[in-house]
Amino acid sequence: MNFVEARLAKLARNGDRNAFEELVELYKDKIFHLAYRMLSNKQEAEDAVQETFLRVYTNLHRYDENQKFSTWIFRIGTNLCIDKLRRRKNTYSLDAELPDGEGNDFYAMLPSDEDTPEKQIIVSETQELIRKAIGSLPEKYKSVVILRYLHDMSLQEIGDVLDMPVTTVKTRVHRGREYLRKLLEQHEHITI
Amino acid sequence: MNCKEALPLIHEYLDGDLHGSEAKELKEHLIACPACRTLFKQLEKTDAMVRSLPSVRLPDTLTAQIMSGLPPMKKSRTWTDWIRRHPAVSVAVVFAAVMFGSYMSMWNDDKNLMVKGNDLQEVIIQGDTVIVPQGHTVNGDLVVQRGKLEVEGDVTGNVTVIDGSVNLASTAHISGQVTKVDEAIGWIWYKLGEIVTMIAS
Repeated sequence: MNFVEARLAKLARNGDRNAFEELVELYKDKIFHLAYRMLSNKQEAEDAVQETFLRVYTNLHRYDENQKFSTWIFRIGTNLCIDKLRRRKNTYSLDAELPDGEGNDFYAMLPSDEDTPEKQIIVSETQELIRKAIGSLPEKYKSVVILRYLHDMSLQEIGDVLDMPVTTVKTRVHRGREYLRKLLEQHEHITI
Repeated sequence: MNCKEALPLIHEYLDGDLHGSEAKELKEHLIACPACRTLFKQLEKTDAMVRSLPSVRLPDTLTAQIMSGLPPMKKSRTWTDWIRRHPAVSVAVVFAAVMFGSYMSMWNDDKNLMVKGNDLQEVIIQGDTVIVPQGHTVNGDLVVQRGKLEVEGDVTGNVTVIDGSVNLASTAHISGQVTKVDEAIGWIWYKLGEIVTMIAS
């Protein structure tokens, strides 16, 4: 699988658009899933997927074939989402009133929950709660938790994606897990 | 084992990294300590719940959207990219091209006969022919470019003929080597050799 992807990347680098399209097909759902969990917003996640593939495409000549393609594309996608989260934090506070004089805050501007593609899928209140809990994780735990639990990556792979030592990844998984446990514990009717 | 020691081990266990004696010690502690047992169960359940989140799928139209958003392939950029990525090689290529060009122009410009040696009183030049007469001895090397060389006497060094011909009479005696250079490339080799010997000496 790894070999096939490296070959596709090589073909795409030499100008084969069909090869690139195959890479898009292979990874778009994974990257969307990642971006959606990171950003908790469908539109922003779609934008992030587009931007990720654009960056992959324009940086194909930098891809090292000895590296796993998945590690590379996840690194680009994760960094992009982290950037978006940071920019969001810097540009506005969600609780601040908007200067439109109507007393709206940013929550009013966020897409309603009806927009989320999983609204139909989520039958359980528990899943909705977990979704929110992950959304509220501090950024440095969020990426680690998402890669670990929702993409089933090993600690080593996460270290490669985020460019940090495995020991740091481990600490963040542990803290993230503890954070989530405390959040879920507050909702006693879920009885964890 | 106390509760403080147990917590990191619980996390290690949930990471799938706890084996052997440590796993056994943790198990013994969890049996003995109800508080840690509850914590362990909560963390284990948190893990399972987070994993249970379904993955979300994208609208199928997004592939086309992604593909159409890509910049067009620029074939002409490939060689400039290559230059950007290999600056040292590019400089070397340009340098070699300039050197080659200058040698080529030197090769083509000069149409005149040229004779080079330490002992030129001994040679006779008639038109484009250089003659080493019988009974005469040229001490050292003799180089003739763009001309005919006829050797009837002796040369104590090497004889080099560039872009010309050499004719050795039966009475001729050359102590060194006779080299004929006809091609521009060969001439460059000869020049390079000359430079190297110059640097070496």
